[in-house]
Amino acid sequence: MNDLHDAVMHDVKNQLAELALRLRARGDASVEMDIAMSASRRLTEMLLLGRADLCVNIDSVNPADFLNILAAEYAERFPNITIRVETVRAPESVFFDDALIRLALGNALHNACHYAKSCVQLTAFEQDNMLILEVCDDGPGFPASQISSDGTAPSAVSRTGTGLGLHLAHKIAGAHRLNDHRGYIQLHNDESGGIFRMLLP
Amino acid sequence: MAIVSNISDKWILVIDDMEGMRSQLRMSLSSSGFAKLHVVSSIKEALERLATNHYDVVLCDYSLGDSTNGQQFLEYLRTADLINRNTIFVMITAEQSYAKVVAASDCAPDDYLLKPFTAAEFNARLEKLLERQTYFSAIDRASDKKNWGRMIAECDTLLAARDKFFFDLCKIKGAALIRNNQAQLAETLYREIIAMRPLGWAKLGLARALAQLDKAAEAEQLAKEILVEMPQFMAAYDFLGKLLAESGDKKGALAILQKARDIAPGTMNRIRELSALAVHTGQPEIAEKVMRETLIQHKHSPVRQADDYAVLSRALIHQGKTAEALNVIQDARKSFSDSPNNVILAVTESAAHLASGNHKLAHVSLEKALSAGELCNFSANALLAMSEACFTLGREEDATRLLNHAIQNNHDDVTLKNKVHAVLIASGKDAAEATALIETCTAEVIALNNEGVQHAQAGNLSEAIALLGKASVRLPNNLQILGNAALVIALDLVRNGKESAKLAQCLSYRESLIKKSPNHAKIAQIDTMLKQLKS
Repeated sequence: MNDLHDAVMHDVKNQLAELALRLRARGDASVEMDIAMSASRRLTEMLLLGRADLCVNIDSVNPADFLNILAAEYAERFPNITIRVETVRAPESVFFDDALIRLALGNALHNACHYAKSCVQLTAFEQDNMLILEVCDDGPGFPASQISSDGTAPSAVSRTGTGLGLHLAHKIAGAHRLNDHRGYIQLHNDESGGIFRMLLP
Repeated sequence: MAIVSNISDKWILVIDDMEGMRSQLRMSLSSSGFAKLHVVSSIKEALERLATNHYDVVLCDYSLGDSTNGQQFLEYLRTADLINRNTIFVMITAEQSYAKVVAASDCAPDDYLLKPFTAAEFNARLEKLLERQTYFSAIDRASDKKNWGRMIAECDTLLAARDKFFFDLCKIKGAALIRNNQAQLAETLYREIIAMRPLGWAKLGLARALAQLDKAAEAEQLAKEILVEMPQFMAAYDFLGKLLAESGDKKGALAILQKARDIAPGTMNRIRELSALAVHTGQPEIAEKVMRETLIQHKHSPVRQADDYAVLSRALIHQGKTAEALNVIQDARKSFSDSPNNVILAVTESAAHLASGNHKLAHVSLEKALSAGELCNFSANALLAMSEACFTLGREEDATRLLNHAIQNNHDDVTLKNKVHAVLIASGKDAAEATALIETCTAEVIALNNEGVQHAQAGNLSEAIALLGKASVRLPNNLQILGNAALVIALDLVRNGKESAKLAQCLSYRESLIKKSPNHAKIAQIDTMLKQLKS
């Protein structure tokens, strides 16, 4: 990727963001606003991801605040989907890079909202010394091609950019390290829909 | 859409150089219910607004055209105490500058927003920030007053709840402990945090505590470890650079700060450190390059100081480029004309003239510096620079007088004494002679102070008051003398009854002391005495 590519992507990204804002101001175009906003976000992620090393800045985060902010954003973009936040099994403070995990989880949440019938749930809890951030939807679930046997994300880019989002989430999770442990992501389907999980040390 | 509570009361300042972004933000904020909103396009306008208005939230774009960036602006605001600690500062950044923004410096924004963001996201985050603002308000008030003891006590009160702000409170408390010289307690606190989670700020805090406890080698080791794990942690570079410079390894310090500069453009403080180190280590060309670039970039920006031009000028003098050095001083005079700045510029000008072989003009410039104002209004650094110039031009008596004044006003400042020592050595004195001079000077002021105290102990309060009063006029920056001058008057008032003129004098000394050192141990003693007076 060269500087010219970056500059063009940056420009297009800004134009899409402006379009999203204008659509929001109209008040009757939340679907169109979301398309423009998501496209702009995708370019931002690509530009960030293109950089050689991800700068990870881990600090304490309150999981309820974190997930509620994320939910508020996507509730505006998907007014027909109910987004629930569940953090009773999580401690008051957990540790990760707020901005990076917001990007990664935002992607997963966007996907979930896109495929959900009516409801998405965001959950934070701890299990086996790992923090688990979970996005469950009541949609058709992930296609079989995306669910690899070991639960890790595929790296190929697939339809609607999902693959790119997963690739980014995978990279961001992996950049969270503690002693010998690294973060990772898992995709599952159950009877009610798709489950995206991010596990962080 | 999330509605932020009571936002219509909140004053908000938006700084963005792009017209499109300004109108977007204005539209977005007004439609979210913000009524008290100022939107400006430059740092200059922002400073005008900040001087006359209190803002609850400042929303600043990182990239403000080619000049001073948002991070440098924030550093300037915090260093010059131009915004309250409780004011929420949010940095807006695009992906290109993202890495530079999160490369946490000592002066981090309260939050940052990656463009593009939606109004809903912004509102939801602002709501949390406002909750935080209320929660930390008492601590922030103490911080604004630089009352570290109070800050620590406020933290302790809130820490008991072990709520979601637990780690933020520990971070603030640790920093306050260090500033309050309670390194032992800071060390314990940071070790407790690290045992829970090895967070970067806790490790750096531990390194700071260790350095304060004279465990420089351990501190250095730890700082290096932090940088291996987190090569983007700018505050760790600054700390390590300072540590190395203090231990005498100026070349090592310079290398560290140059490495930091490769990662992020750098705060003004780091650029200043780096340039000074480059001159000291005989690499003036590095200082010239860095400072010249900086001053071109920050042309007309308030973050510049006269000292920056002086450093550039000196870097040029060291390379024999005296005509250029004089031009730099002329250029600086367009922006800086008050007397403390005049001293710095005139002294540098004198050095440039001398280097170009023009002794007469060198003397004229030095005379300009010496007559720029009262000695007690000059910073220690200005006094040292003047003294250096006096030595070079053979005015030994003036040089010694200036050094005397610098030491006696700060007689327990070890760093300053080291600098004085360096000036004396550079002037041709040998080490023993330099040390003896500094010791005599220190002994004299200690004797003066002790004489006052002895008079007081012997019950000769009026003599003590007269002596310490006179000393405080001569050495208005010597905190020990200032404190004792207030204390003996307070003692006199307790013993001999209230007298309004004396009380006023005592309170004025106390005021000066608080202004110069809000946590000085003498303040509590004075207050205890004054309380007796009330009862």
